[in-house]
Amino acid sequence: MEKAIKRYSPIFVLPTLLAFTIGFIIPFLEGLYLAFCQFTTVRDAAFIGVGNFKRIFSDTTFLQSFKFTVLFALASIIIINVIAFGLALLLTRNLKGTNIFRTVFFMPNLIGGIVLGYIWQILINCVLSLVGEPLLALNSTAGYWGLIALVSWQQIGYMMIIYIAGLQNVSEDLLEAAQIDGASAWKTLWRVKLPMVMPSITICVFLTLTNSFKLFDQSLALTGGDPNHLTETLALNIYYTFYSRAGAQWKGLGQAKAVLFCVLVIVISLLQLKATRSKEVQQ
Amino acid sequence: MKKKLLALTLTGALAMSLLAGCGSSGDTAATDTTAAEDTTTTEDTAADTTSAEGSVYYLNFKPEQDQQWQDLAAVYTEETGVPVTVVTAASGQYETTLMSEMGKSGAPTLFQVNGPVGLANWKDYCYDLSDSDIYGELTSDTYALKDGDKVAGIGYVIESYGLIVNTDLLEQAGYTTDDIQSFEDLKAVAEDITARSDELGFAAFTSAGMDSSSDWRFKTHLANLPIYFEYQDRGITSTDAIEGTYLDNYRAIWDLYINNSTCDPAELSAKTADDATSEFLNGQAVFYQNGSWEYGNVAGEGKFSDDQLAMIPIYFGVGDEANQGLCTGTENYWCVNNQADEADIQATLDFIYWCVTSEEGTTAMATDMGFVIPFKNAQEPTNLFVKEDQEMTAAGKTPISWNFTTMPSEEWKNGVGQALTAYAADQTDANWDGVVSAFVDGWATEYALANGQ
Amino acid sequence: MAKRKKISNINWSILLTILALLYVYPIIMIIFNSLKQETAITTNGAFTLPTSETFAGLANYVNAIESKGFLQSLGYSLLITVTSVAAILICCSMCAWFITRVKSKISQALYFLFVFSMVVPFQMVMFTLSQTADALKLNTPYNIWVIYLGFGAGLAVFMFAGFMKSVPLEVEEASMIDGCNPLQTFFRIVLPMLRPTLVSVGILEAMWVWNDYLLPTLVLDIKKYKTIPMLIQYFRGSYGRVEMGPMMACITLTVIPIVIVYLLGQKHIIKGVAAGAVKG
Repeated sequence: MEKAIKRYSPIFVLPTLLAFTIGFIIPFLEGLYLAFCQFTTVRDAAFIGVGNFKRIFSDTTFLQSFKFTVLFALASIIIINVIAFGLALLLTRNLKGTNIFRTVFFMPNLIGGIVLGYIWQILINCVLSLVGEPLLALNSTAGYWGLIALVSWQQIGYMMIIYIAGLQNVSEDLLEAAQIDGASAWKTLWRVKLPMVMPSITICVFLTLTNSFKLFDQSLALTGGDPNHLTETLALNIYYTFYSRAGAQWKGLGQAKAVLFCVLVIVISLLQLKATRSKEVQQ
Repeated sequence: MKKKLLALTLTGALAMSLLAGCGSSGDTAATDTTAAEDTTTTEDTAADTTSAEGSVYYLNFKPEQDQQWQDLAAVYTEETGVPVTVVTAASGQYETTLMSEMGKSGAPTLFQVNGPVGLANWKDYCYDLSDSDIYGELTSDTYALKDGDKVAGIGYVIESYGLIVNTDLLEQAGYTTDDIQSFEDLKAVAEDITARSDELGFAAFTSAGMDSSSDWRFKTHLANLPIYFEYQDRGITSTDAIEGTYLDNYRAIWDLYINNSTCDPAELSAKTADDATSEFLNGQAVFYQNGSWEYGNVAGEGKFSDDQLAMIPIYFGVGDEANQGLCTGTENYWCVNNQADEADIQATLDFIYWCVTSEEGTTAMATDMGFVIPFKNAQEPTNLFVKEDQEMTAAGKTPISWNFTTMPSEEWKNGVGQALTAYAADQTDANWDGVVSAFVDGWATEYALANGQ
Repeated sequence: MAKRKKISNINWSILLTILALLYVYPIIMIIFNSLKQETAITTNGAFTLPTSETFAGLANYVNAIESKGFLQSLGYSLLITVTSVAAILICCSMCAWFITRVKSKISQALYFLFVFSMVVPFQMVMFTLSQTADALKLNTPYNIWVIYLGFGAGLAVFMFAGFMKSVPLEVEEASMIDGCNPLQTFFRIVLPMLRPTLVSVGILEAMWVWNDYLLPTLVLDIKKYKTIPMLIQYFRGSYGRVEMGPMMACITLTVIPIVIVYLLGQKHIIKGVAAGAVKG
């Protein structure tokens, strides 16, 4: 079979690959080159070597945003996946109104990140002023948890759908067998369902991981990095390096940060993929 | 050329392979052909846009004037046959859009920078306007943005800001604008209104919102005053180290704003520009620090009439206050892209010259857009605040120039804004020291970062 | 036992209902505000219902639709979303099938490349992408799908490949033995089995394309074309003023089509799963 498919590779692979080359590979390689340049627009790049990379490490805001992003990613990955999986379990139990619930929980996904950010900003500030805490612009703790609440609210619905698809793939026979063997609901969950939906878990964790690391729109709209860059995600930090700075030397620095950022995310997600993939059962 | 060839082959191949690959989808097949056609006509379209006459592509900064520019461009095209395209960048996205558009073929021929700091980014792209006709039309050389001897940008709109006053409410409180001639007067009036606010039913100031839609009113516009007076003292127009001589006055007026306003100072960080406008429109406050651009939002049908409004200077308690005018200047400079084709550059120069000299152009800019333009042929403005500025200047008052264009970076402004917000929530000396440090130390650091390496 | 299960189900239903209400609250807030008059939309008043005094009726909607070329942008947004998602679904599912079924160094490398593209921040490629697209003239609503296919391929291939691993090989092998070529096998056997995944990937990609602001701003020929998210940004003025009413109305209008798509697609998920094609 492999051979036959291989013969058809131009049809199967080439369209995607060509578009991918145009839409990603070329811009990426050019972007990589730009990290070693000084430029105002892409057309006037002048090669300056590794100077940009050296400057990253003297930029304290970059390190601060790295720390923030890691802490944020950790918390949001756990919260999103646990809640989404819980909801998926509930919504595969043939409860009344399951369809309505699925739709409702999915809804927030349908609105763009910037708009979501503004809505949540109003909401969180309102709550904060009710309990007499400093508002978002001065309150990095609220900013941190607010951002987590926002992305959870937004992404739980989607991850839930993936988990539901995974749970529905768990064969009835297997579950019946477990019941006959007298396994408790809890045991069935841990020993049967969880291993069987491992591919879904891999996907969801990976998606939440990359989403958290690349988080931009929501963080820009919710706190914009306030106070004093304390709630700035890496993507936002890169963006600010590009735009709130005037002069050619900053664009290259932003690009260099982006390259370093890439490397970081790749390493982390490779580790994650390796870890969860190894737990998947081959069917 | 080599790049283009590669590009052509790539798309060609892609289109072909997609035709073969995804033939089952009607949608994709249909668009494939367009893609293929587009690539073959690349060279032609490039030639089209740069035809003998030249054309203009204006990347406009102000979203609120988008429609008026479109209309004016249409009039010009009808009259001269020269195609003018106006594109408006979304608010806060001007630099992104400009950076991306400048890298493309058919880049903007006319764009804008916001002053010396913005110019640092784009000076290599600015056509020298010193021999242009429009430069000769400027009423004052101060509205030309220079890079050495080169005239890199031309200010095309003058704006003023100060305290917008709801004169009806002020009268209800027992005062007129004539009663306010100094910072001391302003303070007395504001504190009196606050003391009687329950009885009067309104506050002195609209909320001094520190949300990003509104914080520029204080971290940039209000911060202009201590900078202006210090520059005056030292006889300079820019500096690498600010001393902060007048920061105590800055604190005094900031205290006045936040403690006599419609809301608790702790809530200011979330207040938006719309909140302040709404409060003013709903008659909840007498004073509203904003500029001539706000006229359309506070005056007109269902809002206030001209006799219910006035704009007074932001008194700062420094210098000759009786003769202080509004803060007047520009941060909108037109620049012509020197990388564009000769014909396009000429077409652009002709277009902006027409805008500021012709009957249609000046009418549109004065009436439709509500601008005051610093050119000899400018028409009488309809904007009340602008008229007031002109009257004050005519009466011998000295307008305060816009020195905030020399602030070292956005980062500096953000630092000051952040410190102001923190201080507003908790008004201690320690927190004010934070403002001073952001202002003075931040200036030195940011200046070095922006101009050093 | 059955009774107890029923009771716990009711409890769960109540809990879910409360959660669901909290969940839709922000969305309802947008709709409320879209019906209010401009001056009534303030930070403090965001939560209050429109009163007879502040109720603006559909004025904001009329304003939104009339003032900025809403219908035209809606058309472009629809066109871009439909073409891009169609291209992504077909091309990427084929590509993913190839990658999971052919075990070679090249297919492994390809898979790695696609996954890699997911973690690259958009800021890194934004300017070079806009320039590449410009050089190839992929800057119209009619062919921007190529860019979306390229940029969205990572996620799509990753998700398809993930699900294909759980699809049994036997059916495909049987079909090949029956004399089908790989193309026929793919479209007759594999694709129908993929339906739930197609729908989930489709929705995810559709939402991305539909709501995307930065990419079309940078890539499209902005002299001629505007999408809905770009249009929404025009309700913000340069001096911090936001036309909240029309903006909220515009957002509401934008959400409606995608809700419809989702509701349609949701049925397919259930149907696809119920058909039993995927049961291992």
